Amino acid sequence: MNNTIRALRTARGLSQEALGSALNVSRQTINAIEAGRYDPSLPLAFKLARFFALHIEDVFDDGEEKLGS
Amino acid sequence: MSDLMSRLKSKRRYLIELGVCLALYVLAIRLSMLLLNDGIATGIGKPIAALIPMVPGSGMCWVIVRQFHRMDELQRRIQFEALGFAFAGTAIVTFSYGFLETVGFAKVSMFFVWGVMAVLWSLGMAVATRRYR
Repeated sequence: MNNTIRALRTARGLSQEALGSALNVSRQTINAIEAGRYDPSLPLAFKLARFFALHIEDVFDDGEEKLGS
Repeated sequence: MSDLMSRLKSKRRYLIELGVCLALYVLAIRLSMLLLNDGIATGIGKPIAALIPMVPGSGMCWVIVRQFHRMDELQRRIQFEALGFAFAGTAIVTFSYGFLETVGFAKVSMFFVWGVMAVLWSLGMAVATRRYR
């Protein structure tokens, strides 16, 4: 699943360590999510979206077309 | 407190708890051997004395489960993959050797099973950690 976390994080001048600390996960977890090697759980995905004050679909993209479109 | 400090503290607590259990395990083995070798434990007391080290051994399981609860979701995923690999690998190794024993290979102690699993767990950890790096 694609995501915009790296861009959102760097735009705010945050390190992976700082973002991980804010969300109570390790730097390795943030790095793996940013690199697309790990898809976070739904609760963590929501926490990430809320942290950046965005909707979850603005942060994550599963590459599927929206239903009905 | 920074995330790094928190994780270091958690790791330190884990190592202390594990170290205490390990020290108690060594003491329990000495006590068990004393009771068995000096003939203090007899009858039903023998298997009970032989199992004394498993009291702190169970404590180690409790410490490891506590550490699992402190992990974040990716670390748990890594552990899950490593333990799954170790579980399946241990089944293959122990069953293979069990069949080899039927054709004359030397009988091996049950103590080796955990050794095999620990090696495969470490190997699985290395592979899974590398996958998510």
